[in-house]
Amino acid sequence: MSNEHFTEPEVNENKNASPLDDFDMTENVAAPETDESILDFDDDPLSATSVSKKSLVIFFLIDTSGSMKGKKMGELNTVMEELIPEIRRVGEADTEVKVAVLTFSTEVRWMYSTPIPIEDFEWARLRASGVTSMGAAFKELNHRMSRNSFLSSPSLSFAPVIFLMTDGYPSDDYKEGLRELQTNSWYKFGLKAALGIGQEANDNILAEFTGSADTVVHAYTGGQLAQMIKIIAVTSSQIGSKSMTLSDDTSHELAEEDVFAAKQKLLGQQIQELISKQPGDDDVPFDTGW
Amino acid sequence: MFSGFSHSVMGASHEKTNLVCQDSSAFKIGDHYAIAVVADGHGSKKHFRSHLGSKFAVEATIEAIDRFYEEREALEASLPVNHKLIIRNIEKQIISNWNVKVDKHLSENPVTDKEKEKFTEEEFEAILPESYYGTTLVAAVSGDNYTFGLQIGDGSLVALFEDGKAVMPMEYNESAPANVTASLCNSNAASLFSSFYAPNKKLIALYGSTDGLYTSFGSEHDFLDYHTIITSQLVNIETFKTVIKNNLEKRSHFGTEDDISLACIYNEKLLTDRMDLIRKRVDENKKAAADRKAAALSKQV
Repeated sequence: MSNEHFTEPEVNENKNASPLDDFDMTENVAAPETDESILDFDDDPLSATSVSKKSLVIFFLIDTSGSMKGKKMGELNTVMEELIPEIRRVGEADTEVKVAVLTFSTEVRWMYSTPIPIEDFEWARLRASGVTSMGAAFKELNHRMSRNSFLSSPSLSFAPVIFLMTDGYPSDDYKEGLRELQTNSWYKFGLKAALGIGQEANDNILAEFTGSADTVVHAYTGGQLAQMIKIIAVTSSQIGSKSMTLSDDTSHELAEEDVFAAKQKLLGQQIQELISKQPGDDDVPFDTGW
Repeated sequence: MFSGFSHSVMGASHEKTNLVCQDSSAFKIGDHYAIAVVADGHGSKKHFRSHLGSKFAVEATIEAIDRFYEEREALEASLPVNHKLIIRNIEKQIISNWNVKVDKHLSENPVTDKEKEKFTEEEFEAILPESYYGTTLVAAVSGDNYTFGLQIGDGSLVALFEDGKAVMPMEYNESAPANVTASLCNSNAASLFSSFYAPNKKLIALYGSTDGLYTSFGSEHDFLDYHTIITSQLVNIETFKTVIKNNLEKRSHFGTEDDISLACIYNEKLLTDRMDLIRKRVDENKKAAADRKAAALSKQV
């Protein structure tokens, strides 16, 4: 059996080869003994392909219909530009966060052709015009939330975060689009939140999308819009990137379905808690006559 | 003439929780054939002996395939026509060998009170004994001008044939977040295997890896490019062994923190003959990766 090579895993200092192990474990290879030594791979030709951390995709679905024109869209563009560095901090620890932005008005359009790592992401300022094709946006999202499309990254470890922002009633058959989206496993297990902007946005429709009223919030002023977007985006990415599958926990073990349900519930609780702590806003409401 | 290597590293997350490495790996160079095999024990609560299960899977696979190669000429004469049946029979033989090893180990080492203390009595009664040892398995085999592979559960197979392009010869299905990996311990394990057979193709190198490697990459392109780079390093195998060990440690440490195993078999002569082509592929891949990144970062709105 001299031509048969079994490899016992290297575990810290344990360099004893097993009886099965013909693979030469005693060669002049020092196993890294400290974290610092692991960092030093200057002579590693394989470093040409980078290492990816556990990853999470945040989908922003943004209404860019004509009614968003003016203060709403201006504020949204500003807060999204400010938000990117904050989300970047969420991912710094042990999760790579990627962002995908789908805009919907008369047409649906992705800001980039693929989810972009947050460190490379640059916000493209949006303009508002046209009608509110929310159903078409749901269909497009369903199409892209697949291992064969936007969720193809091998390092994808978490169900996505999906954040919908709109200021009005859909102008197409949103229910048909939502029905299609609801068949998508990533949607089912994703963390969903929605923000209604101004008085025209219908919270019932948004709750149909998220599956719960707790994860729907409403902004009536520019100040609130900025607060709500930050609260939802940061909280959902924090919860989304948390490992709750405690498979090695000896006391209890959550089934995957329970993990997703627990995360969605936690998101609702935290959003409501954070919103209740927000100070009053003297800003002029969006819908006050200009 | 074939050669090979295999290596398993313990995941950073398992080090943190004082678990043992759940992966096993091996390669075997036979007479005009070679085998690479990796297995990933499930590691979760009810699979509390899966580090042994993966070791048994690797041993069971090599024993099963060796047995089929006892009459190599007859096997190779039959493969072009009956490969599906033969591969299915190898899979069944692996399952059988694995169950024999599990049964033997369990009869010699009954479950201890310490192992049981993590469960209520009802919970423990509900677990089938073979589940204690649950594991995935990926095996790759090459002869002089054909290659085949088989797999149950997560993991990857990558081949470089004589054109020097890295390909995944096995078809993989869409997996959603809640999907549970198939396992040798499943009662219907025989129906859960996937396989491929590539006739009349000369192989440069063939790799099997556990999913800790795949999930340490941001894209499938990067994963395939990595295998092309590895292949370009195989000519200096002793230097390479150091490099690959370090690199797998790094990928686990900075990646998904999972255990990682990689096993490889390669044709030494063809590797040397095609080295210029492989290096050319490495350069092409590097350029293609830069082009992909530039395209992805271009705004569409």
